[in-house]
Amino acid sequence: MIMQSTVSSALSLPIHSSVLWLIPFLPLFGAILNGATGRWVKSSKLVDAIALGSVALSFLLVLCCFARLLGQAPENRSVNQTLWTWFDLGGAHVLGGVTQNTMAWAYKFDPLSGAMALLVTGVGFLIHLFSTGYMGEERNNGTYYRFMAYLNLFVFSMLNLVLGANMIIMFLGWEGVGLCSYLLIGFYFEKEFCAIAGKKAFVTNRIGDFGFLVGFFLIFMVFGATDFDTLMGMTRGILAMPQITLFGITHAPTWWFNLIGCCLFLGACGKSAQIPLYVWLPDAMAGPTPVSALIHAATMVTSGLYMITRMNFIYINAPVALTLVLCIGSLTALVAASMGLAQYDIKKVLAYSTVSQLGFMFMGMGAGAFSAGMFHVFTHAFFKAALFLGSGSVILACHHEQDMRNLGGLRKHMPWTFASMGIATLAIAGIFPFSGFFSKDEILWKVFEGWYAGGSVLSLAAWIMGMVAAFMTAFYMVRLMVMTFFGEYRGAGHSDPYGLTVPSEVAHHAAHDDGHGHHEVHVPSEVPWNMWLPVAILAALALIGGFLNIPHSLHWIGSSHFTAWITPLLFQTGPHVHEAVPAMEYLLMAVATLVWAPGAMALAWWFYGADPTWSKPKAFVQRFPVLFRWVNAKYYVDEFYEAAFIGPCKQLGAQLWAFDSLAVDGMVNGAARFTLLAGHASHWFDAKIVDGLVNLVAWILQQVSLGFRKFQSGRVQNYAFVMFLGFLVFAFWKFLA
Amino acid sequence: MPSMNAVLFLSFLLFSVGVAGVLIRRNVLIILMCVELMLNAANLNLVAFARHSGTVNGQAFALLVMGLAAAEVAIGLALVVALYRKKDTIQVDQINLLKG
Repeated sequence: MIMQSTVSSALSLPIHSSVLWLIPFLPLFGAILNGATGRWVKSSKLVDAIALGSVALSFLLVLCCFARLLGQAPENRSVNQTLWTWFDLGGAHVLGGVTQNTMAWAYKFDPLSGAMALLVTGVGFLIHLFSTGYMGEERNNGTYYRFMAYLNLFVFSMLNLVLGANMIIMFLGWEGVGLCSYLLIGFYFEKEFCAIAGKKAFVTNRIGDFGFLVGFFLIFMVFGATDFDTLMGMTRGILAMPQITLFGITHAPTWWFNLIGCCLFLGACGKSAQIPLYVWLPDAMAGPTPVSALIHAATMVTSGLYMITRMNFIYINAPVALTLVLCIGSLTALVAASMGLAQYDIKKVLAYSTVSQLGFMFMGMGAGAFSAGMFHVFTHAFFKAALFLGSGSVILACHHEQDMRNLGGLRKHMPWTFASMGIATLAIAGIFPFSGFFSKDEILWKVFEGWYAGGSVLSLAAWIMGMVAAFMTAFYMVRLMVMTFFGEYRGAGHSDPYGLTVPSEVAHHAAHDDGHGHHEVHVPSEVPWNMWLPVAILAALALIGGFLNIPHSLHWIGSSHFTAWITPLLFQTGPHVHEAVPAMEYLLMAVATLVWAPGAMALAWWFYGADPTWSKPKAFVQRFPVLFRWVNAKYYVDEFYEAAFIGPCKQLGAQLWAFDSLAVDGMVNGAARFTLLAGHASHWFDAKIVDGLVNLVAWILQQVSLGFRKFQSGRVQNYAFVMFLGFLVFAFWKFLA
Repeated sequence: MPSMNAVLFLSFLLFSVGVAGVLIRRNVLIILMCVELMLNAANLNLVAFARHSGTVNGQAFALLVMGLAAAEVAIGLALVVALYRKKDTIQVDQINLLKG
């Protein structure tokens, strides 16, 4: 068996490693090609071909590599390709002495990064396809090529992040996706709120990146290496050290691992929108909807999860950091889900839902169930991308109306979109056998098990929060579906007998739409195939994706392929023991899928669906006005940040600026003025005193010589006369003597 | 036989005419001639005193001075020719390059 796999890997390795670099670089070429030439390309179909083609090729390559990986023994499932040495440190002082580590531009294709790459290119391709329909208006105003180039650049960055074989390449991708996120959120930068949302996302991510960098530096100081294989291999040795002294601080290895874990988790909080850095994600909905689906639901926001799974050798050995992940994750899951309950903007609901689901994933990681968390990444990518793209279709069909109070009744007009979003809703609510059930239930069970198997009471608290969040998830998703797809269409010009609609920006948009016809009485219709097809594919994946990882307790349905796929990459703390499945798990599972989620859905239906006048929610708001106001205003967290951090920061900036302009500039200007004055004085002294003295000497000499000049007549006879006179005087004097 | 005093007076007159010519005349050739006058006045003195003292020393000196004068004229005329070629004139008042 081993020999056979060695032979097969020896045969297939060269093929793998030679094409590996193409996976990330193909989208880069697409981005460069479109970005550099798109402005002059007449037909946007060509832009489509380049953008979609590069991602599709990349996806096919990932599929090939993935298929090869499947054919190998678990311990051989890793393909590395080192392209070149990026930079050479030339010797750095780290814990183990001086390291001659060189930072290589290297890629690593293993079960984890391969699965992520499959997700990024696969979902990425579907969303590229969707964008060709959704961004139709941009085809005419010359910004279309820019959008496609950004999307390709994002895919390149994200592939760097997941395929990078060391932390440097990962960080490159980490920053690259942040940049693309900024560019794409601010795609409509001529609108001020889009530009502001882009800046907010970027700055918030920078705070997280600070933590990531510190964690990265600490890892380098402790391990003296950056590539994941080496780090993983060294972990046991580091752990065996009695204590570690860095920067004059001495602690046990576990203490340092905790510190590293917390620092890295700060980075994950920024990228994956966890408390306290989640605030950028809802605002990021200002970007085009495909961007929300690709970056802010399916891929980029999961990079924090990917990073933690990659760094599992740190987290497994860092109990405090892991507990922090658990607490933050569960808190985020609960708080964000509750915020989603009272939003009217269809994309905002989905945004808070995303934050909440990311919280679930972190919860799973915090419970030490990395594969469960990662599995939720995948199922979530399917159903949340489907929901976002579906909402994009709705928004486009209703002429950029996003307020759910002005939608409604679309079930009849947009059957494909409705069906796809319905499946995705059942999946996210956790109904058996949709994918969300398998992934979310696994996480919740692992968290519960943390307490049930004799763990801390924190796990129980986290589990309770998770259960409440799951309840809310089912509630707000059904609320979204009912408000959007049931009842009668309440768009502009349609009857609105119950007074549910609100004035919106659409009137303004419709006025500017006049170019292609009047829409006074507009009937939404199903979007073209290149838009509903990606949604349908994603919904299908959301329907069947769960069967890739059937929990051990349901082994009579199938086995947990995904866990088995990921597990060889995880740091093994001890021999794995298959315990008997406690009856408790069956009980919780049954409760969750038969009572809990359907209960929430029924409640939401009873609130919004059964009564078209929405009298019950209105009564509820009347009865608890303060509660509603707080939830609707998202607990005033943004306002709190504004008052507590951003305001003081701005004030500090203003003060620093004042200090700068008064003191620093004053000093510089003062020095300049003093120099000028001194120069003037020096000039005066030079001109009057020094030159004066010189000129005076010359003047005196001139005056004195005026007399003598007269003697120099130039006439020989004068000289002869003087000579003769002299002779006479001499003779006379001699005569007298 | 003229008296000693008469000869000395003639010598004085000759010398004075020579000095006046050198100091007053502008033409270089005239000046050179006046210089010859002065030399010959000195010769006359030498010969007169030789006769008075009854020795031949003075006469020998006079012969020597005549030879010297011949050489001096040769050099002087050569200088005048060179001067004329250079300045196109032999008027000394027009040759005043040394004027301060």
